[in-house]
Amino acid sequence: MEDSLYIEIGTAQQQKYGEDCFGDTIYSKKIPQERRIISILSDGLGSGVKANILSSMTTRMAMTFVESNMELMHSSEVMMDALPICQIRKISYATFSVVDTQLDGKTRIFEMDNPPFMLIRGGKAVNVRYREISSEKWKDRTINISQMTNQEEDRIILISDGVSQAGLGNRLYPLGWQRQGCLNFAIEKIRKNPHISAHELAHAIVAEALSKEVGGHAGDDISCVVLYFRKPRKLLVLTGPPFDENRDKEFAEMVADYDGKTAICGGTTANIVERELCLKCEIDKTSFDDKIPLCSKMEGVDLVTEGILTLTDVYRMLKEGIDTDRDNGATRLANLLLDSDKIDFVVGTKINIAHQDPNLPMELEIRRNIVKKIFRILQDKYLKEISIRYI
Amino acid sequence: MKKIKVRICVGTSCFVMGSAQIQSLEFNAPSDIADEIEIVEERCMNLCKDITRKRNRGPFVYVDDELIEEATYEKVVAKIREKLQK
Repeated sequence: MEDSLYIEIGTAQQQKYGEDCFGDTIYSKKIPQERRIISILSDGLGSGVKANILSSMTTRMAMTFVESNMELMHSSEVMMDALPICQIRKISYATFSVVDTQLDGKTRIFEMDNPPFMLIRGGKAVNVRYREISSEKWKDRTINISQMTNQEEDRIILISDGVSQAGLGNRLYPLGWQRQGCLNFAIEKIRKNPHISAHELAHAIVAEALSKEVGGHAGDDISCVVLYFRKPRKLLVLTGPPFDENRDKEFAEMVADYDGKTAICGGTTANIVERELCLKCEIDKTSFDDKIPLCSKMEGVDLVTEGILTLTDVYRMLKEGIDTDRDNGATRLANLLLDSDKIDFVVGTKINIAHQDPNLPMELEIRRNIVKKIFRILQDKYLKEISIRYI
Repeated sequence: MKKIKVRICVGTSCFVMGSAQIQSLEFNAPSDIADEIEIVEERCMNLCKDITRKRNRGPFVYVDDELIEEATYEKVVAKIREKLQK
């Protein structure tokens, strides 16, 4: 378990200009019991609501079939039969790319009609051989199946045709950006920043595709999924003083013994660690913000912030997106959480008497509750591996 | 002359009770005192939890070694001016 690969999934989407919803759908699922991750990108015929329904149906059906290891050809026939037939084009249609990967690196990819996936290994594109199968019933459809064993630092990139055709008809890109253009862009990005996160790379690709379009107006739905295979990045978050003061030392030593990054959320918590480990902790004035109290700096600890207010704001940002125009304790902590794969929370359960004063604003949450909310959103929305321990 | 040290608690409850406003002394203090003070923010000074002493509420601010309870920007500025006149 310890040395298994971690897969970070980053996605980015931009809907066609003028449409309210995405015509492409991305759906990823983690199956912890089988240590397996499935990620699907589907492009629905057309754009807008109709395409959204077609592609959502396709991803959900494909997920169910792949998850239960159904025979592939049969499953795709069922899917084609189930999709409604477009009144204009008289075909039922949605494309898909499915990445089915296990944490020991065995990966299968099924594709139908999407631009072929890209595999980048050691800063170079690798071509993976594929097998083509076609259905009796739907003659013009073929599915490409590829198999590979992934290694550390591999990246798999899935794109919809909105990426490869970005800028189509434009003088600079008469045939669009093309898959090759996107591949070169991704390789260049990785060369500049070898540890670029999946999330960052996916957003960079979509932003770049959009910049190719005339007037920055997307001519089709643009979607990108990046799967990044790597050693898990670990983070320890200590928050709240232990219920029993006699355990302060044990609590503080967790910071010293941890083999990864560490963060401390809470003034009193920081005071305990400072006292027990005899470290010096100073206020960091560069994090000034009128909504969030200042951070501190402690040797050997990556981030020290205030507790409840910071955590509450972190939860808000995990839900709504991280504020890019501010640099305070909460944005720093939120970014640190998203950059990590395995996060261990240690929550001290001592109640802060001062916070029970009825004159304080109602928003002051109880620590256990806010940590629980953060825990859930990190696990369900961001697919992080999380443990939580109360002390 | 030695500067007056202003220690502001920026622990959670002091912060929500208004120590954030007092922190602005660092950037836009009245001109007569701006050069005479040194602002130091502190993590929770634990004064809010000190039940035995029956303290009033935060924000807690020390001006040199004198504690101001339920501090406001005005209270702190007044205390600094008082100190300077001595």
